[in-house]
Amino acid sequence: MASSMAISQVRPGNPALQFLKVVPGVLLLAAIGYAGKLLEANVGKYAKAHHWTFPNIEYVLWAILLGLMISNTVGVPEIFRAGVATYEFWLKAGIVLLGSRFLLGDVLKLGATSLALVGIEIAGAIAFMTFLGRAFGLKPKLTSLLAVGSAVCGVSAIIATQGAIEADDEDSSFAIAAILALGALSLFTFPLIGHTLHLTDHAYGVWSGLAVDNTAEAAAAGALYSDAAGKLAVLTKTTRNALIGFVVLAYAFYWASKGQAQAVGSKARFLWQKFPKFVLGFLLISTLATAAFFSKAQIGALANLSRWAFLLTFAGVGLRTNFKVLSKQGLKPFAVGAIGEVAIAGFTLGLVLAAQRIFGW
Amino acid sequence: MSEQEQAVRSPVKPHGFSIDAWAVLLAFALAALVRVGVFKHIPW
Repeated sequence: MASSMAISQVRPGNPALQFLKVVPGVLLLAAIGYAGKLLEANVGKYAKAHHWTFPNIEYVLWAILLGLMISNTVGVPEIFRAGVATYEFWLKAGIVLLGSRFLLGDVLKLGATSLALVGIEIAGAIAFMTFLGRAFGLKPKLTSLLAVGSAVCGVSAIIATQGAIEADDEDSSFAIAAILALGALSLFTFPLIGHTLHLTDHAYGVWSGLAVDNTAEAAAAGALYSDAAGKLAVLTKTTRNALIGFVVLAYAFYWASKGQAQAVGSKARFLWQKFPKFVLGFLLISTLATAAFFSKAQIGALANLSRWAFLLTFAGVGLRTNFKVLSKQGLKPFAVGAIGEVAIAGFTLGLVLAAQRIFGW
Repeated sequence: MSEQEQAVRSPVKPHGFSIDAWAVLLAFALAALVRVGVFKHIPW
Protein backbone atom coordinates (compact mmCIF):
# COMPACT_ATOMS: atom_id res chain seq x y z
CA MET A 1 0.00 0.00 0.00
CA ALA A 2 1.47 3.25 -0.95
CA SER A 3 0.93 6.12 1.34
CA SER A 4 -1.23 8.79 -0.06
CA MET A 5 0.45 11.25 -2.25
CA ALA A 6 -3.09 12.31 -2.60
CA ILE A 7 -4.28 15.36 -0.90
CA SER A 8 -0.90 15.31 0.82
CA GLN A 9 0.65 17.24 -2.03
CA VAL A 10 -1.61 20.15 -1.32
CA ARG A 11 -0.41 22.41 1.45
CA PRO A 12 -2.85 23.32 4.17
CA GLY A 13 -4.62 26.57 3.56
CA ASN A 14 -7.85 27.62 1.94
CA PRO A 15 -9.92 24.42 1.50
CA ALA A 16 -11.53 25.79 -1.68
CA LEU A 17 -8.09 26.37 -3.22
CA GLN A 18 -6.96 22.89 -2.19
CA PHE A 19 -10.05 21.44 -3.83
CA LEU A 20 -9.52 23.44 -7.03
CA LYS A 21 -5.90 22.33 -7.20
CA VAL A 22 -6.80 18.63 -7.39
CA VAL A 23 -9.70 19.03 -9.86
CA PRO A 24 -7.67 19.00 -13.15
CA GLY A 25 -5.73 15.87 -12.20
CA VAL A 26 -8.84 14.03 -11.00
CA LEU A 27 -10.53 14.90 -14.30
CA LEU A 28 -7.47 13.54 -16.12
CA LEU A 29 -7.69 10.28 -14.13
CA ALA A 30 -11.39 10.04 -14.99
CA ALA A 31 -10.76 10.79 -18.67
CA ILE A 32 -8.02 8.15 -18.97
CA GLY A 33 -10.06 5.58 -17.04
CA TYR A 34 -13.13 6.23 -19.17
CA ALA A 35 -11.04 6.09 -22.36
CA GLY A 36 -9.88 2.66 -21.15
CA LYS A 37 -13.51 1.56 -20.84
CA LEU A 38 -14.32 2.88 -24.33
CA LEU A 39 -11.28 1.17 -25.82
CA GLU A 40 -12.24 -2.13 -24.19
CA ALA A 41 -15.73 -1.89 -25.64
CA ASN A 42 -14.78 -0.72 -29.13
CA VAL A 43 -11.35 -2.05 -30.11
CA GLY A 44 -12.53 -5.68 -30.03
CA LYS A 45 -15.63 -4.81 -32.07
CA TYR A 46 -13.55 -2.88 -34.62
CA ALA A 47 -11.01 -5.69 -34.94
CA LYS A 48 -13.81 -8.25 -35.41
CA ALA A 49 -15.53 -6.11 -38.03
CA HIS A 50 -12.25 -5.92 -39.98
CA HIS A 51 -11.46 -9.63 -39.43
CA TRP A 52 -8.32 -8.89 -37.41
CA THR A 53 -7.00 -11.18 -34.71
CA PHE A 54 -6.71 -8.97 -31.64
CA PRO A 55 -6.65 -10.08 -27.98
CA ASN A 56 -9.44 -8.88 -25.74
CA ILE A 57 -7.77 -6.20 -23.60
CA GLU A 58 -9.66 -5.17 -20.48
CA TYR A 59 -10.20 -1.56 -19.42
CA VAL A 60 -7.77 -2.04 -16.52
CA LEU A 61 -4.87 -2.64 -18.88
CA TRP A 62 -5.98 0.08 -21.31
CA ALA A 63 -6.13 2.63 -18.47
CA ILE A 64 -2.67 1.62 -17.20
CA LEU A 65 -1.18 1.65 -20.71
CA LEU A 66 -2.63 5.07 -21.53
CA GLY A 67 -1.25 6.43 -18.25
CA LEU A 68 2.16 4.88 -18.92
CA MET A 69 2.26 6.36 -22.42
CA ILE A 70 1.54 9.87 -21.13
CA SER A 71 3.91 9.63 -18.18
CA ASN A 72 6.80 8.26 -20.25
CA THR A 73 6.42 10.50 -23.31
CA VAL A 74 5.06 14.00 -22.72
CA GLY A 75 5.08 13.63 -18.92
CA VAL A 76 2.39 14.78 -16.49
CA PRO A 77 2.11 18.61 -16.60
CA GLU A 78 2.35 20.43 -13.28
CA ILE A 79 -1.32 21.46 -13.27
CA PHE A 80 -2.44 17.81 -13.14
CA ARG A 81 0.05 16.48 -10.57
CA ALA A 82 -1.83 17.21 -7.34
CA GLY A 83 -4.97 15.58 -8.70
CA VAL A 84 -3.15 12.59 -10.21
CA ALA A 85 -1.60 12.01 -6.79
CA THR A 86 -5.10 11.39 -5.39
CA TYR A 87 -5.17 7.92 -6.95
CA GLU A 88 -4.32 6.34 -3.59
CA PHE A 89 -7.26 8.17 -2.03
CA TRP A 90 -9.63 6.66 -4.63
CA LEU A 91 -8.06 3.25 -4.07
CA LYS A 92 -8.86 3.36 -0.36
CA ALA A 93 -12.39 4.68 -0.90
CA GLY A 94 -12.87 1.89 -3.48
CA ILE A 95 -11.67 -0.76 -1.04
CA VAL A 96 -14.08 0.46 1.66
CA LEU A 97 -16.99 0.36 -0.82
CA LEU A 98 -15.88 -3.09 -2.00
CA GLY A 99 -16.66 -4.28 1.53
CA SER A 100 -20.35 -4.26 0.54
CA ARG A 101 -19.67 -7.21 -1.79
CA PHE A 102 -18.37 -9.41 1.01
CA LEU A 103 -20.53 -10.95 3.71
CA LEU A 104 -18.78 -10.70 7.06
CA GLY A 105 -18.69 -14.50 7.38
CA ASP A 106 -16.85 -14.73 4.06
CA VAL A 107 -14.43 -12.00 5.13
CA LEU A 108 -13.67 -13.85 8.37
CA LYS A 109 -13.34 -17.20 6.59
CA LEU A 110 -11.25 -15.90 3.68
CA GLY A 111 -9.44 -13.47 5.97
CA ALA A 112 -8.45 -16.27 8.37
CA THR A 113 -7.02 -18.34 5.49
CA SER A 114 -5.35 -15.23 4.07
CA LEU A 115 -3.98 -14.31 7.49
CA ALA A 116 -2.27 -17.69 7.83
CA LEU A 117 -0.78 -17.39 4.33
CA VAL A 118 0.18 -13.73 4.92
CA GLY A 119 1.96 -14.69 8.17
CA ILE A 120 4.05 -17.31 6.35
CA GLU A 121 4.69 -14.89 3.45
CA ILE A 122 5.86 -12.07 5.74
CA ALA A 123 8.22 -14.30 7.72
CA GLY A 124 9.65 -15.89 4.57
CA ALA A 125 10.00 -12.59 2.70
CA ILE A 126 11.75 -10.78 5.56
CA ALA A 127 14.17 -13.67 6.14
CA PHE A 128 15.01 -13.97 2.43
CA MET A 129 15.36 -10.25 1.74
CA THR A 130 17.60 -9.84 4.82
CA PHE A 131 19.78 -12.68 3.58
CA LEU A 132 19.94 -11.18 0.06
CA GLY A 133 20.73 -7.67 1.35
CA ARG A 134 23.65 -9.06 3.37
CA ALA A 135 24.87 -11.20 0.46
CA PHE A 136 24.90 -8.13 -1.83
CA GLY A 137 26.53 -5.93 0.82
CA LEU A 138 23.66 -3.43 1.02
CA LYS A 139 23.51 -1.04 3.99
CA PRO A 140 21.63 -2.74 6.88
CA LYS A 141 18.88 -0.10 7.07
CA LEU A 142 18.34 -0.20 3.30
CA THR A 143 18.05 -3.98 3.63
CA SER A 144 15.43 -3.49 6.38
CA LEU A 145 13.44 -1.11 4.17
CA LEU A 146 13.51 -3.48 1.18
CA ALA A 147 12.50 -6.39 3.43
CA VAL A 148 9.52 -4.48 4.87
CA GLY A 149 8.50 -3.13 1.46
CA SER A 150 8.44 -6.54 -0.14
CA ALA A 151 7.00 -8.38 2.86
CA VAL A 152 4.14 -6.08 3.84
CA CYS A 153 2.81 -3.35 1.69
CA GLY A 154 5.22 -1.51 -0.51
CA VAL A 155 5.68 2.22 -0.31
CA SER A 156 3.61 2.92 2.83
CA ALA A 157 5.50 0.29 4.78
CA ILE A 158 8.81 1.76 3.66
CA ILE A 159 7.75 5.28 4.66
CA ALA A 160 6.44 4.07 8.04
CA THR A 161 9.60 2.07 8.71
CA GLN A 162 11.93 4.87 7.60
CA GLY A 163 10.51 7.10 10.32
CA ALA A 164 10.60 4.36 12.95
CA ILE A 165 14.18 3.20 12.34
CA GLU A 166 15.58 6.60 11.32
CA ALA A 167 16.89 5.43 7.94
CA ASP A 168 18.40 7.86 5.41
CA ASP A 169 16.18 9.53 2.81
CA GLU A 170 18.44 8.07 0.13
CA ASP A 171 17.90 4.51 1.41
CA SER A 172 14.14 4.79 1.34
CA SER A 173 14.31 6.45 -2.08
CA PHE A 174 16.21 3.39 -3.41
CA ALA A 175 13.80 0.99 -1.74
CA ILE A 176 10.71 2.85 -3.03
CA ALA A 177 12.09 2.95 -6.59
CA ALA A 178 12.83 -0.78 -6.55
CA ILE A 179 9.37 -1.65 -5.18
CA LEU A 180 7.55 0.63 -7.65
CA ALA A 181 9.50 -0.67 -10.67
CA LEU A 182 8.87 -4.27 -9.70
CA GLY A 183 5.19 -3.53 -9.05
CA ALA A 184 4.87 -2.16 -12.58
CA LEU A 185 6.47 -5.31 -14.00
CA SER A 186 4.09 -7.53 -12.02
CA LEU A 187 1.12 -6.02 -13.88
CA PHE A 188 2.35 -7.65 -17.06
CA THR A 189 3.91 -10.86 -15.74
CA PHE A 190 1.36 -12.05 -13.16
CA PRO A 191 -1.66 -12.42 -15.49
CA LEU A 192 0.56 -14.22 -18.02
CA ILE A 193 1.79 -16.68 -15.40
CA GLY A 194 -1.74 -17.13 -14.04
CA HIS A 195 -3.15 -17.98 -17.46
CA THR A 196 -0.21 -20.24 -18.31
CA LEU A 197 -0.74 -22.23 -15.11
CA HIS A 198 -4.56 -22.14 -15.53
CA LEU A 199 -4.98 -20.81 -11.99
CA THR A 200 -8.55 -20.44 -10.73
CA ASP A 201 -9.79 -16.91 -10.00
CA HIS A 202 -9.58 -17.67 -6.29
CA ALA A 203 -6.00 -18.97 -6.36
CA TYR A 204 -4.79 -16.20 -8.67
CA GLY A 205 -6.47 -13.46 -6.60
CA VAL A 206 -4.93 -14.70 -3.35
CA TRP A 207 -1.53 -15.02 -5.06
CA SER A 208 -1.66 -11.43 -6.38
CA GLY A 209 -2.64 -10.15 -2.95
CA LEU A 210 0.24 -12.06 -1.34
CA ALA A 211 3.01 -11.36 -3.83
CA VAL A 212 2.41 -7.89 -5.34
CA ASP A 213 3.64 -5.21 -2.96
CA ASN A 214 1.70 -2.01 -3.55
CA THR A 215 -2.05 -2.18 -2.96
CA ALA A 216 -2.85 -0.34 -6.20
CA GLU A 217 -0.75 -2.75 -8.26
CA ALA A 218 -2.13 -5.77 -6.37
CA ALA A 219 -5.71 -4.63 -7.11
CA ALA A 220 -4.81 -3.98 -10.75
CA ALA A 221 -2.97 -7.30 -11.19
CA GLY A 222 -6.03 -9.10 -9.76
CA ALA A 223 -8.55 -7.16 -11.87
CA LEU A 224 -6.49 -7.84 -15.02
CA TYR A 225 -7.27 -11.56 -14.50
CA SER A 226 -10.96 -11.31 -13.61
CA ASP A 227 -13.41 -9.41 -11.45
CA ALA A 228 -13.52 -12.23 -8.89
CA ALA A 229 -9.73 -12.43 -8.79
CA GLY A 230 -9.60 -8.66 -8.26
CA LYS A 231 -11.91 -8.93 -5.23
CA LEU A 232 -9.78 -11.64 -3.64
CA ALA A 233 -6.53 -9.81 -4.42
CA VAL A 234 -7.87 -6.75 -2.56
CA LEU A 235 -9.06 -8.82 0.40
CA THR A 236 -5.73 -10.65 0.74
CA LYS A 237 -3.73 -7.44 0.30
CA THR A 238 -5.91 -5.70 2.89
CA THR A 239 -5.13 -8.52 5.34
CA ARG A 240 -1.43 -7.94 4.62
CA ASN A 241 -1.83 -4.18 5.11
CA ALA A 242 -3.49 -4.73 8.49
CA LEU A 243 -0.23 -6.24 9.79
CA ILE A 244 1.94 -3.26 8.87
CA GLY A 245 2.03 -1.89 12.44
CA PHE A 246 3.35 -5.13 13.94
CA VAL A 247 6.18 -5.47 11.42
CA VAL A 248 7.23 -1.82 11.72
CA LEU A 249 7.09 -2.12 15.53
CA ALA A 250 9.36 -5.18 15.42
CA TYR A 251 11.88 -3.30 13.27
CA ALA A 252 11.67 -0.23 15.52
CA PHE A 253 12.51 -2.43 18.54
CA TYR A 254 15.35 -4.11 16.68
CA TRP A 255 17.05 -0.85 15.65
CA ALA A 256 16.39 0.78 19.04
CA SER A 257 18.06 -2.20 20.75
CA LYS A 258 21.14 -1.46 18.61
CA GLY A 259 21.03 2.17 19.72
CA GLN A 260 20.36 3.34 16.15
CA ALA A 261 16.73 4.47 16.56
CA GLN A 262 14.61 6.03 19.28
CA ALA A 263 12.89 3.68 21.74
CA VAL A 264 9.17 3.13 21.17
CA GLY A 265 6.90 4.63 23.85
CA SER A 266 3.36 3.28 23.99
CA LYS A 267 3.11 0.13 21.86
CA ALA A 268 -0.68 0.42 21.56
CA ARG A 269 -0.47 4.01 20.32
CA PHE A 270 2.31 3.06 17.88
CA LEU A 271 0.19 0.21 16.46
CA TRP A 272 -2.89 2.43 16.14
CA GLN A 273 -0.88 5.15 14.37
CA LYS A 274 0.46 2.67 11.81
CA PHE A 275 -2.80 0.73 11.36
CA PRO A 276 -4.46 1.49 7.98
CA LYS A 277 -7.87 2.89 8.98
CA PHE A 278 -9.54 2.02 5.68
CA VAL A 279 -9.40 -1.64 6.76
CA LEU A 280 -11.89 -0.73 9.53
CA GLY A 281 -14.11 1.03 6.97
CA PHE A 282 -14.04 -2.10 4.78
CA LEU A 283 -15.07 -4.30 7.74
CA LEU A 284 -17.83 -1.88 8.79
CA ILE A 285 -19.39 -1.74 5.32
CA SER A 286 -19.15 -5.53 5.12
CA THR A 287 -20.92 -5.78 8.50
CA LEU A 288 -23.70 -3.47 7.29
CA ALA A 289 -24.13 -5.51 4.10
CA THR A 290 -24.28 -8.72 6.16
CA ALA A 291 -26.97 -7.17 8.40
CA ALA A 292 -29.08 -6.48 5.25
CA PHE A 293 -28.75 -2.72 5.80
CA PHE A 294 -28.52 -2.37 2.00
CA SER A 295 -30.90 -3.89 -0.54
CA LYS A 296 -29.56 -6.01 -3.38
CA ALA A 297 -29.90 -3.10 -5.81
CA GLN A 298 -28.08 -0.80 -3.38
CA ILE A 299 -25.22 -3.29 -3.04
CA GLY A 300 -25.01 -3.32 -6.84
CA ALA A 301 -24.80 0.49 -6.83
CA LEU A 302 -22.05 0.46 -4.16
CA ALA A 303 -20.13 -2.18 -6.12
CA ASN A 304 -20.26 0.04 -9.21
CA LEU A 305 -19.10 3.06 -7.20
CA SER A 306 -16.18 0.92 -6.05
CA ARG A 307 -15.39 0.06 -9.69
CA TRP A 308 -15.35 3.76 -10.64
CA ALA A 309 -13.00 4.50 -7.75
CA PHE A 310 -10.68 1.70 -8.89
CA LEU A 311 -10.83 3.02 -12.45
CA LEU A 312 -9.29 6.30 -11.27
CA THR A 313 -6.67 4.30 -9.34
CA PHE A 314 -5.63 2.25 -12.37
CA ALA A 315 -5.21 5.39 -14.47
CA GLY A 316 -3.07 6.83 -11.66
CA VAL A 317 -0.87 3.69 -11.51
CA GLY A 318 0.12 4.28 -15.15
CA LEU A 319 0.51 8.03 -14.78
CA ARG A 320 2.80 7.91 -11.76
CA THR A 321 5.14 5.27 -13.26
CA ASN A 322 8.08 6.92 -14.98
CA PHE A 323 10.69 4.37 -16.02
CA LYS A 324 13.38 7.01 -16.58
CA VAL A 325 13.11 8.28 -13.00
CA LEU A 326 13.03 4.73 -11.63
CA SER A 327 16.09 3.66 -13.64
CA LYS A 328 18.20 6.44 -12.05
CA GLN A 329 17.96 4.93 -8.59
CA GLY A 330 20.83 2.45 -8.75
CA LEU A 331 21.26 -1.14 -9.85
CA LYS A 332 22.12 -2.97 -6.63
CA PRO A 333 18.90 -2.27 -4.65
CA PHE A 334 16.93 -3.03 -7.81
CA ALA A 335 18.80 -6.32 -8.29
CA VAL A 336 18.17 -7.33 -4.66
CA GLY A 337 14.51 -6.31 -4.99
CA ALA A 338 14.12 -8.17 -8.29
CA ILE A 339 15.73 -11.40 -7.08
CA GLY A 340 13.74 -11.17 -3.85
CA GLU A 341 10.45 -10.49 -5.62
CA VAL A 342 10.92 -13.40 -8.02
CA ALA A 343 11.69 -15.69 -5.08
CA ILE A 344 8.71 -14.37 -3.08
CA ALA A 345 6.41 -14.76 -6.10
CA GLY A 346 7.57 -18.37 -6.50
CA PHE A 347 7.28 -19.07 -2.78
CA THR A 348 3.77 -17.59 -2.49
CA LEU A 349 2.67 -19.39 -5.65
CA GLY A 350 3.72 -22.65 -3.98
CA LEU A 351 1.77 -21.66 -0.85
CA VAL A 352 -1.33 -20.84 -2.89
CA LEU A 353 -1.16 -24.08 -4.87
CA ALA A 354 -0.86 -26.03 -1.61
CA ALA A 355 -3.80 -24.09 -0.11
CA GLN A 356 -5.80 -24.69 -3.30
CA ARG A 357 -5.32 -28.42 -2.85
CA ILE A 358 -6.23 -28.31 0.85
CA PHE A 359 -9.23 -25.95 0.63
CA GLY A 360 -10.43 -26.96 -2.84
CA TRP A 361 -10.42 -23.40 -4.26
CA MET B 1 14.31 11.92 -5.46
CA SER B 2 11.23 12.46 -7.59
CA GLU B 3 8.61 15.01 -6.75
CA GLN B 4 6.14 12.18 -6.22
CA GLU B 5 8.42 10.53 -3.69
CA GLN B 6 8.94 13.81 -1.88
CA ALA B 7 5.19 14.16 -1.64
CA VAL B 8 4.88 10.68 -0.13
CA ARG B 9 7.59 11.55 2.34
CA SER B 10 5.90 14.58 3.82
CA PRO B 11 2.25 13.74 4.16
CA VAL B 12 0.17 16.69 5.26
CA LYS B 13 -3.03 15.79 7.01
CA PRO B 14 -5.61 18.25 5.77
CA HIS B 15 -7.82 19.45 8.60
CA GLY B 16 -6.37 16.93 11.06
CA PHE B 17 -7.61 13.83 9.21
CA SER B 18 -5.39 11.27 7.54
CA ILE B 19 -5.99 10.38 3.91
CA ASP B 20 -7.32 7.01 5.08
CA ALA B 21 -9.89 8.77 7.24
CA TRP B 22 -10.98 11.01 4.35
CA ALA B 23 -11.34 7.98 2.08
CA VAL B 24 -13.47 6.19 4.69
CA LEU B 25 -15.61 9.31 5.17
CA LEU B 26 -16.19 9.66 1.44
CA ALA B 27 -17.08 5.98 1.08
CA PHE B 28 -19.56 6.18 3.96
CA ALA B 29 -21.09 9.40 2.64
CA LEU B 30 -21.63 7.71 -0.73
CA ALA B 31 -23.04 4.59 0.96
CA ALA B 32 -25.45 6.80 2.95
CA LEU B 33 -26.60 8.57 -0.23
CA VAL B 34 -27.23 5.21 -1.88
CA ARG B 35 -29.04 3.95 1.24
CA VAL B 36 -31.44 6.93 1.42
CA GLY B 37 -32.13 6.71 -2.31
CA VAL B 38 -30.34 9.83 -3.62
CA PHE B 39 -28.36 7.54 -5.94
CA LYS B 40 -30.70 4.78 -7.08
CA HIS B 41 -28.65 3.36 -9.90
CA ILE B 42 -24.94 3.73 -10.59
CA PRO B 43 -24.16 2.69 -14.17
CA TRP B 44 -21.02 0.81 -15.10
